[in-house]
Amino acid sequence: MSQTIAHPEASEVESSHGHHAELSFFRKYIWSEDHKTIAIQYLFTSLFFLLVGGLLAMGVRYQLAFPGVPVPIIGSFLPSWLVTSAGAIQPGGYNALFTMHATVMVFLVIMPLLIGVFGNFLIPLKIGAPDMAFPFFNALSYWLFLLSGIILLSSFFAPTGFPASGWTSYAPLSSHAQYNGTQIGQSCWCVGLFVNGLASIAGAANYITTVINMRAPGMKMFRLPLPIWALLITAFLLLLAVPVLSAAAAMLFCDLNFGTSFFSSSNYGQPLLWQHLFWFFGHPEVYIMIVPAMGLVSEIISVNSRKPIFGYKAMVFAMVAIGVLGFIVWGHHMFVSGMNLLLSATFSFSTMVIAVPSAIKTFNWMGTVWGGSIKYTTAMCFALAFVSMFVIGGLSGIYMAATPVDLFIHHTYFIVAHIHYVLFGGSLFGVFGAIYFWFPKMFGRMMNETWGKIHFALAFIFFNCTFFPMHNLGLNGMMRRIADPTQYEHLRSQQPVNIFITLSAFALGLSTIPFLINFFYSMFKGPKAPINPWKSTTLEWTVPWPTPHGNFETTPTVYHGPYEYSVPGMEEDYLPQNQPAPDTVRLAAH
Amino acid sequence: MLKQSSRTSLAFLAMVVLLLIASGVCGRAAVRTSDLWWMPEVASKGGVLIDKLTYFIYYLTGAVFVLTQVVYIYFLVKYRSRKGAKATYSHGNNRLELLWTGIPTAIFIGLWGYSNHLWWDVLHAPTPPDTMEVGVLAYQFGFSFQYPGADGKLGQSDVKLIGNDNIFGNDPNDPATKDNFQSSVLELPINKPVRVRLNSRDVIHAFYVPQFRVYQDIVPGRTIDWVWFTPTRLGSYQLACNQLCGSGHYNMKAQIEVVTQEDFDKWYKEKAAAAVIPAGNAPAQSK
Repeated sequence: MSQTIAHPEASEVESSHGHHAELSFFRKYIWSEDHKTIAIQYLFTSLFFLLVGGLLAMGVRYQLAFPGVPVPIIGSFLPSWLVTSAGAIQPGGYNALFTMHATVMVFLVIMPLLIGVFGNFLIPLKIGAPDMAFPFFNALSYWLFLLSGIILLSSFFAPTGFPASGWTSYAPLSSHAQYNGTQIGQSCWCVGLFVNGLASIAGAANYITTVINMRAPGMKMFRLPLPIWALLITAFLLLLAVPVLSAAAAMLFCDLNFGTSFFSSSNYGQPLLWQHLFWFFGHPEVYIMIVPAMGLVSEIISVNSRKPIFGYKAMVFAMVAIGVLGFIVWGHHMFVSGMNLLLSATFSFSTMVIAVPSAIKTFNWMGTVWGGSIKYTTAMCFALAFVSMFVIGGLSGIYMAATPVDLFIHHTYFIVAHIHYVLFGGSLFGVFGAIYFWFPKMFGRMMNETWGKIHFALAFIFFNCTFFPMHNLGLNGMMRRIADPTQYEHLRSQQPVNIFITLSAFALGLSTIPFLINFFYSMFKGPKAPINPWKSTTLEWTVPWPTPHGNFETTPTVYHGPYEYSVPGMEEDYLPQNQPAPDTVRLAAH
Repeated sequence: MLKQSSRTSLAFLAMVVLLLIASGVCGRAAVRTSDLWWMPEVASKGGVLIDKLTYFIYYLTGAVFVLTQVVYIYFLVKYRSRKGAKATYSHGNNRLELLWTGIPTAIFIGLWGYSNHLWWDVLHAPTPPDTMEVGVLAYQFGFSFQYPGADGKLGQSDVKLIGNDNIFGNDPNDPATKDNFQSSVLELPINKPVRVRLNSRDVIHAFYVPQFRVYQDIVPGRTIDWVWFTPTRLGSYQLACNQLCGSGHYNMKAQIEVVTQEDFDKWYKEKAAAAVIPAGNAPAQSK
């Protein structure tokens, strides 16, 4: 096996590759340092957390539609911090449900699904590297992530239960046990996020090092597939933003348990400091959760349109712009927090500007399907839906970016609709598409397309039935985070909408069943996948399954950019990156 | 018999069209006079301006959404995979990139100019001389209000003075605070500007009245006194806390009564006369 680039870690990986056959079960499946196994560990774990987060959401929706009605069947088995003796969800328990729904979905589902799974799986395979730069750190990162999930969820068994001050945990509600009543849960939240942050930082350092140092010969930066660009930019965001959250969580933990007053309103503390720290992390976080999905979707759309991505460099620069600008827009979460009004004007401006690169990306996706020869695979359906849902989520963001309108719709269901269009219709649809797309390379078998289409149709319809009416609820002045909308005169007429949303949400929850059945059935019984089922150009489709530890038998050489589809004068409609173009063919530079 | 790929693309198209029709129904319903689908009727002067901007953004984003989706869906149908058809080999077009970078940039910056102008007008403009100031105290889980009393002045207050026997933190050395009186209802005269002085005793709460198009967080340890509005419609409203503040958050609200100036003066006189206990004692429980 020839050397990619002189790199000490790479040669270590190769030597461990030499001992491949001797790996024990423990080293192969539990403490594995193979990036592909770690990716699959991330996949199973975060799919499990997706079910947990989804069930929590069902609890939230149940309460909003039927406040005070005992939960059927399971109500009497739920702990007393969550339900009354009759089995109805209590207001405090409701706060705990949505707090943990968001925390689980953000830190244990979307981030690991996009970054843990596809970052780990795709980066070495797509850049032609044998493994990550630091395989040990990679394994450590996964186990820290799992540990953080266990810590976060363990407070379920505490007498006061889950934390209940929202995933944003605004101080001083979160920093004083006498206000929130969930000292143990809130402490678990701080520790869990701190440990989760360590996992993210380890992963990010690893990704950056790998992409910068371990690219195969000929893999110039502007020949990187877009998912790799997206993950590289995301890794930089993680590295710069997550330590701020970790520090803030540690400070909050001290306020809560050791009597410090960083965020207290007395003793020179400052409640707004928490919000600045949290959102300085929190807004880059939003892009951490959408940029990788943009990268994955770009590739799926290009492959299935049989066309080069439209404006490759514009796509890269747009993502870089989002990454940079993402650090100066956090204040738009705080227009009405009591922050200086002039600051609000400034943040409003940067927020309007950051909408531009998102618009550029949308137009380029449309440019990619233009003139294509579109194959409607399940992966493609999810990717195409991603674009439309992202447009809705992006356009609704403009309402909040305009400060005077934010005066009206701040903290209403409008923002709940907005974030779910971006994170569910965006990120999660992107993840579903990517799972259907890369499943053959992960498990060596194809997923069933018919069941995939059924999953897509159900998810698409019920997603929109669930989240679109939330815009209307928000404009009607329905506050987010209230356990019982019927307490308010102006919301009582809205209750039929809430019930409709809840029924749709239950259907949306059930729509994952065909996916899960398809996923697990195909893993064992699906038809064997060819090496390159989608006729794709990138390097991961040149390796056989099961892909050996070390990935490439011989280090590939890269001759051109990643999306050479339908090149005129060629018989096949794709030209893999490791094959030079025939002499008769001239590739257009992008 | 259609090919598999055409059938799926048609199914996809049908779903998108259904969604568009569904959202169209929502849009049409918006015209109805009942408030089932749309914003509650505006009841303040600034709210009218905010609604104008909201509608402007609504039509702008609506047009962008419809245009992009029509083009997108047209492409998706027209360029579906067909036998013998080959995709166009194109890596992009720099002129187009410039166009669709430049136009959105201009629109967004223009929109910022409009909205920022309004932001200062609504929130930061100097209040008219006849503005009434009302103290608002938020606590887990309720609101109390303090009126200036006969002299029309709230007087000095300081968050550091807030305590169980002085819930609004009134400065005892300022004579203007002596005749202040408390209320558990926010009684407001119509068409008269009112400025609220917002304080919190424990955690962050919010002052949210959707009909007035007003939202402001109330931060403990600080006094926020820049929020003002002019009610323009008689009636009862609810002041809601819209910042998660604990287990009782869902029910933290207070009644707002917008009444005629005469009714207000009558109420005010009675309350001021009956204020045997000076403002600052335990939160008032009754009207």
